[in-house]
Amino acid sequence: MIWEVFRQKKAGDYHTHCGNVHAPDREMALLFAEVQHARRMPTNSLWVVPKDEIGEVDTEDVAFGGTTDKSYRWAMTYNFEAAAEEVAASEDEQAEAERQRKAVVDGDD
Amino acid sequence: MDLETVKERAGPREFSPKDDMPEEYRKAATRMIQFHANSEIMGAYLERPFIRQAPSLERKLAFSAKVQDELGHGQLLYRAAESLGIKTRQEMLDELANGQGKFLNCFHYPMESWVETPMIAFFVDGAAMRRQATLKSTSWEPYAHAMDKVCFEEGFHVKHGEAVLHELMTGSKKEQEMAQAAFEKWWPRIIQFFGPTDKQSTHHGFASEVGLKKMSNDELRRAFLNTYIPKAEKYGLVIPDTPTIEKNDDGTYNVAEDELDWDEFFQIAKNEYEPGLGQIDSRKKAQEAVAWVRESMDNHEQRLYGGTSPQAAD
Amino acid sequence: MAAAQQLPGPQDLTDEQREAVEMLLYRLADDEFVIAERYTEWQVRAPTIESDLSVANIAQDELGHARLWYDLLEDFGYEEPDLIWEREAGDWRHSTLCELPFGEGDWADFVVRSYLYDEAEFVRVKALEGSSYPRLADRVEKVLAEERYHREHARSWLERLCEDDDSRARVQDAVDRLLPYALTLFSPTDEEIEARIDELGLRTENLLSMREAWLDEVVPTLESAGLHVEEAELPEQYDVHHVDFDLPDETGRDQSHTDYWFDLFDEFTKSYRELGRHSAMKIMKDPDDE
Repeated sequence: MIWEVFRQKKAGDYHTHCGNVHAPDREMALLFAEVQHARRMPTNSLWVVPKDEIGEVDTEDVAFGGTTDKSYRWAMTYNFEAAAEEVAASEDEQAEAERQRKAVVDGDD
Repeated sequence: MDLETVKERAGPREFSPKDDMPEEYRKAATRMIQFHANSEIMGAYLERPFIRQAPSLERKLAFSAKVQDELGHGQLLYRAAESLGIKTRQEMLDELANGQGKFLNCFHYPMESWVETPMIAFFVDGAAMRRQATLKSTSWEPYAHAMDKVCFEEGFHVKHGEAVLHELMTGSKKEQEMAQAAFEKWWPRIIQFFGPTDKQSTHHGFASEVGLKKMSNDELRRAFLNTYIPKAEKYGLVIPDTPTIEKNDDGTYNVAEDELDWDEFFQIAKNEYEPGLGQIDSRKKAQEAVAWVRESMDNHEQRLYGGTSPQAAD
Repeated sequence: MAAAQQLPGPQDLTDEQREAVEMLLYRLADDEFVIAERYTEWQVRAPTIESDLSVANIAQDELGHARLWYDLLEDFGYEEPDLIWEREAGDWRHSTLCELPFGEGDWADFVVRSYLYDEAEFVRVKALEGSSYPRLADRVEKVLAEERYHREHARSWLERLCEDDDSRARVQDAVDRLLPYALTLFSPTDEEIEARIDELGLRTENLLSMREAWLDEVVPTLESAGLHVEEAELPEQYDVHHVDFDLPDETGRDQSHTDYWFDLFDEFTKSYRELGRHSAMKIMKDPDDE
C-alpha cells in the first residue's frame, strides 16, 4: 500500500508533505521513508499516513474562500494605520495570503 | 523527561506530543491553554448578540466573521490543549458549562449596547493580541502553531474594532458621549486584563520557567498601555481618573494598581461574579440543547469506524 | 420559453419594467437577508465548534448575496436605510420560511430549513442565468457558485441525522412544520407583477414551474432519507398545477408576516435606532468595482 510522508525540518516547524513510499505496514513505511525522504534533507521528524485515509477537495471542486466579496474578513479593508506592531505583522501576512489566493483563483500561480 | 531537563531546554516550540513531558508541565500547559480556549468561546458568546444588532449590513458581515474567527481560535486552542493528554475537548467544554472552566475577566461583564463593542474588539482584542504575539514562541509546539494562525487572523479583529470606534467618535455628539461612557465603564477592566502584578499571580513562576509563558503580566500591560493610551486619546476618548496613570519621562506609563477593584477581579476569577455566571449558564443551556446532535454524530461515527475511529483522542 | 429581449440599464427602464425588476429583487434580497439573520442565531450555539464555523460561513454567504441584490436596488436611487434600516417591517417581501425563529437546540430545523431553502435558491438563481436584465444576470455566477456548499452541507446533515430513529423523528417534525412555509418561497407577490416578471424574461422559469422542479428534487430526497412527505402521495410527478397545497396564512410575499418577523425586525434595527443613525456604514468596495 501507499503511505504519504510528511517531514518536519526542525523542532517547532510544521510537518509538510514531501512524498510517499510503498510499504506493507506503518513500521515498514517509517523505515523506508527515513531513507527515501530523510537521508539528506534536514529532518527532525517524519509522519506516515495511509494514502487511502487522506480525503481531498481541490479548486476543481470548490472555490476556497468563496466567490462573492469577503473583504470584510481582511485587515487590509480597514483603512487605518495598524495600532501596534503585532497588528501590522498580521496585516502583512493577510495581504500576502490574499495576494497568493487571488493568484490561485486567477490561475497565474 | 524530568523537570530539570524541561527547564534547561525550555526554548520556543521546543516540546511536542512525541516528547515524554512530566505531569507538572502537562498540567500547567493544559491550564493555560484551556483558559485561553475558554476565553475565545466566552468572548464570542458575549459578542454574538451584536451580529444581530450591527447597524449596517457590512458591519453585520464583519461581526459575523469576527465571531466565527473566535470560535475557530477556540478550535485550534482546544486541540493544542488536548494534545497534552490531560483532558479531551468535550471535557473542557463540559467544565466550561459547569462553571469550573476559567476565562478572561472582561468576558464576565454584560455587554448591552453597540457602543461597547469596540471596548472588546479594539482594546481587549488589542491587549489579547499583544500577549498572543509573545506566545508564538511558547515552548509547547502545538500552542505556538495555534498562535501562528490566531495572530494571522487577529489583525482583522483589531482593525475592525478600531473602525467601529472611529465611526462612533466621528459620529454625532450623542454617539461620542455614549462611547466615552462605555470607555469609562470598561477601562479598569481592560487594565485588569493582564491580571495582578506578578508577585500576586500564583502560576506565573512555573509557566515562565518551563517556557510556556514568555512575558510577565507587568511587561505586557506596559506594552499595551504605551500603544493604546495614545490611540484612545487620538480618537478623543478621555482616560478616566481611576486608576491614576502617570506618564514617565520616557513616554511610558505607570498605573496605580491598588486603586483597582481586585476583590471583584478575584471573585470573577473564581467564576463567582453574577453577570458572568449568567453568561456561563445560558451557554451551558445552549450546549446541552444540541447534545442530541453530538450523540447522533457519535453513533454515525461509531457505525462507520467502530472502535478504531481515526478521530479518537490523541 | 422564448428568449426575451434584453432590457436596458436601470435609468432607461419604463415604469412598468422597473416595478417588475424591483419586485424580483426584493424577493431575492429580503429572503437572503432574513434567513441569514436567523442563521446567525446558531453562532456560538451550534452542536460542535466545527459546525459552528460552517453555519457562520453560510450565513455570511447569504448576507453577501443579499448585499448584491440590494445593491441593484440602489441603482434606482434607494440607499441602504431605505432598503433595510428605515423600511417599514410590513413592507418586506421575504418568504415566511425565512423569518421563523429556531427553537432552542432545534438543529433539525436548521438542517431542514436550509435544505429546503437552498434547493429552492438553486432553482430560482438558475432561472436568472438567462435573465433579460443584464445587471442581474451578471451577478448570478458568483452567487450560484456559493450555493454548492450550502446544498451539500444541508444534504449531508440531513442524511446523517436520518440514520438514527431519535434524530430522524426530530427531522420529521421539522419537515412537517416547515414544508408549508417552504412552499411560500414560490408564492406570488402580486399576480400581475409576477406575470410581468415572466413576460419580460427577468427570469426564465415561472413560479409554478420552479415549484415543480423543486418538489421533484426535494420530495424524493426526503423520502429516500426515510422521511414521510404528505404531498408525496399525490399523483405522479407531483403535478402541482392541479393541486391545492395548504399554505400558511402568512406567505410573506404579499407582505403578510408572522409576529416573529416584527420582533426580529425590532431586534436587528435596535442599535441603528438607539444611535439615531440616518445612514449605514459601507466598508467594502462597491460590487461594480470589485
